[in-house]
Amino acid sequence: MSFVCSLPILRRTILSTFLSLVAAGLVTAFFVPSAPAADQLTIYSGRGERLIKPVLDAFTASTGIQIELLSSGTTELVNRLKAEGDRTPADLLITNDAGSLELARTAGLLRPLNMREVERAIPAQFRAPDNAWVGLSGRFWIVVYNHTMVKPDQVKSLLDLADPKWKDKIAIPNSGSEYLQAGVSVIRATYGDEKTRQFLQGLKTNADSQVYQKSSQIVDAVAKGQVALGIVNHYYVYRYLATQPDAPIAVVMPDQQEGGMGAIMNVSGVGVVKSTKHLDSAKLLVEFLVAQAGQKLFADLDKEYPLHPDVKADPALMERKSFRAALVPLSKLAELREPTINMIEQVGLR
Amino acid sequence: MSTIRQQLASPLQLLVLATAGIILLPLGYVTAQALSADPVVWSRLWATRIPELLFNTISLAASVAVITLVLGVSTAWLVTRVDFPGRRLWEGALVLPLAMPTYVLAYVYSYLLGFGGPVEHLWQLVAGPQARIFSPHSYGGATLVMALDTFPFVYLLSRSALLSMNVSFEEVARASGVSRLSTLWRVTLPLMRPSIAAGVALVILYVVSDFGAVSLLRYQTLTYAVFQQMTGRSDNTAASILSLLLVGLALIFLITERWFRQRSRFYQTTGHYRAPQRHQYGWLGTVAVTGYLGLIVGAAFALPASLLIQWSLSPEAQATLDSRFFGFVWNSGILAASAATGGVLIGLPLAYLASRRPTMLNLGCLQAAYAGYVLPGPVAALAVLVLFTKLAPVFYGSVLILIVAYVIHFLPAGLQSLEPALQHISPNLEEVARTLGLGMRDTWRRVTLPLVRNGFVVAWVLMFLQTMKELPATLLLRPVGFDTLAIRVWMEASEEYYQLAAPSALLIVLLSLPALALLVSKDWRAA
Repeated sequence: MSFVCSLPILRRTILSTFLSLVAAGLVTAFFVPSAPAADQLTIYSGRGERLIKPVLDAFTASTGIQIELLSSGTTELVNRLKAEGDRTPADLLITNDAGSLELARTAGLLRPLNMREVERAIPAQFRAPDNAWVGLSGRFWIVVYNHTMVKPDQVKSLLDLADPKWKDKIAIPNSGSEYLQAGVSVIRATYGDEKTRQFLQGLKTNADSQVYQKSSQIVDAVAKGQVALGIVNHYYVYRYLATQPDAPIAVVMPDQQEGGMGAIMNVSGVGVVKSTKHLDSAKLLVEFLVAQAGQKLFADLDKEYPLHPDVKADPALMERKSFRAALVPLSKLAELREPTINMIEQVGLR
Repeated sequence: MSTIRQQLASPLQLLVLATAGIILLPLGYVTAQALSADPVVWSRLWATRIPELLFNTISLAASVAVITLVLGVSTAWLVTRVDFPGRRLWEGALVLPLAMPTYVLAYVYSYLLGFGGPVEHLWQLVAGPQARIFSPHSYGGATLVMALDTFPFVYLLSRSALLSMNVSFEEVARASGVSRLSTLWRVTLPLMRPSIAAGVALVILYVVSDFGAVSLLRYQTLTYAVFQQMTGRSDNTAASILSLLLVGLALIFLITERWFRQRSRFYQTTGHYRAPQRHQYGWLGTVAVTGYLGLIVGAAFALPASLLIQWSLSPEAQATLDSRFFGFVWNSGILAASAATGGVLIGLPLAYLASRRPTMLNLGCLQAAYAGYVLPGPVAALAVLVLFTKLAPVFYGSVLILIVAYVIHFLPAGLQSLEPALQHISPNLEEVARTLGLGMRDTWRRVTLPLVRNGFVVAWVLMFLQTMKELPATLLLRPVGFDTLAIRVWMEASEEYYQLAAPSALLIVLLSLPALALLVSKDWRAA
């Protein structure tokens, strides 16, 4: 008894389909990003927006070049660049991790640069051999502790955090964090897989549910005394202290003991996307970021270590020459990445 | 006549098939990727993540389902069958939590219940300075937040059922000497069963595919794990495997719900009802009812909303209110409206055919449409992205692919109301209209459409609200310069900048309110 499925409905359906197609067309005409003007750059950025936007705003102020910023996760953006191929609207990729830049370079997503300004400003170990990516600022993976709960000499190495005495007293970043992946890669390269696995097991047990998505949350948890210790990039601590100078937190620069591996270093960096149609503007931005003025912004606003040898870090930070960095080259982070992620997952870190 | 009918039916049939096909394509992509994955990846996941994730997901869905069932049905019954001062006000207020995204509620509660938060301070006044309360970053916390946020789905559908129910069934029972409680148990609740089942299914699907709340509360579910796999890894094989499990899980819920609903299909025989008689409660009853409703609405809406207002008025938050802000508002509104309209247009033929010609094929197409909702946001996003790159690269980087992902993702939310709306009309009504000489067009315009209008409005509003709040797919698919309010909330809240997240969150709530007002307005209910 189904008379009802009939002409009027059909007409309506066809009509509404047609209308929706027209609407879709209009929407498309409206929203397909029209080719950006010549004095505009589109940037995919894996860095926290509040860390990078002030620097980019300074660039816009001095050159008049407008910037469209898409902030997201670093790995996610590299995946996106891969999927988008030549059609990507992005002109530059900015990340919080050298390994991701190297992966993007080996995937052929970035464009080699021949720029004397870059070579003069940034030491060779902080950029790709062909300058397809260029490091901008240095960061160290440190231990932040609450000095009402822990004495500074109780922790000397990152590996100490796996000690059972810190059960339920530490906070760590989640397994998707590029810092964590890079840090574990360096530990693997230094101590081998077995020891790294034991370290991760201990870390997992000690942190339990204190696994955070953002480093700023870890610093906050330590400052409030929710946990005694945490592993984060150094600048989150100094940025926190800049706004809340009375917070009971301090930094251990780990693994400086005799025979220790040295502090784990990573760099944030930038690469020009291969298919960019605004190469000149893009180069102008790279030039701005590596020059002394740009480097000083990273030092002052973000509390990072500038990579330009002539630019000083914020005086609140430990003098860069007073501690050692681990000896694993940054470009090696890329090839170490995949097995590291597998190990992190096997151990079952969240 | 019969051949004409077949000819006419087939294009509609084709359209439905095509729609189902388009919805199934992303699922097919994900399935293919998962099944072609290296067995090593499968065994690694089984050995490490899958047991924990499955357990976490199922137990969260179960506890939320039970709590929302109790909250939703009890509140719906109170506002429709009891008379107490302010009843109309509560009737509307109970829908308000729908305007509050789960991640907003999650971040408000991680502040309230969090370490060193206000609730803990209060508790320490009572129980001593070292006392701790339960952490919101746990199973309990996730259950609380999800239940408070999703019970209105059950409430809305139960309330609709109670209002459109022909009271003569109940009156007959009462007249035959059945007690009031027994009538409720043996007549009213069974009559509500299709709506209740639909509401709870909606809640379960929502919980299972939620990303915002569980990630802020750091409670590991399958959907959260999929997002972590996708954003933390360069290939998404593991993400596809976890998604396949998720889809399997949701299919089990859907089939259960279907089976449940198949057993109880009721037709209404008249379009004119008297309002049901409302019980009069004494002052004690009134206080109890008001307290109960106040507690629920307070915890799910009033308290979080007032915190948001307070935070939004802080100087830090005021500083973020610049011209960028208008862009976010515009983006959110236009995206949500397009997705809701698209969803209703696509959902209508699916629901119609499944209801009027429940062949295996049509029911299959309808079920296919439900797959989108349980394809977690991030994977739906990625699959849509890859499909568009292959099929229509012109649209690449446009808002259109984001809207397609929304429609696929949220169509089930709309179908859940389109479907019962169509089911509730007896086909006899249309046939009678035809017999009495009304043309097909007039039958549709004067009989069918007015009867299903409620369902349409509810469907559109539900999809609008959910799209506005959507997070993971927006994060992954948004074109450059197309940040929405949800994205802004997420960016600030995930770093616990409560004040900075508040203005965007408050705006989502405010933009949702007119839509909600439509939901509870007399206008469509009277139809």
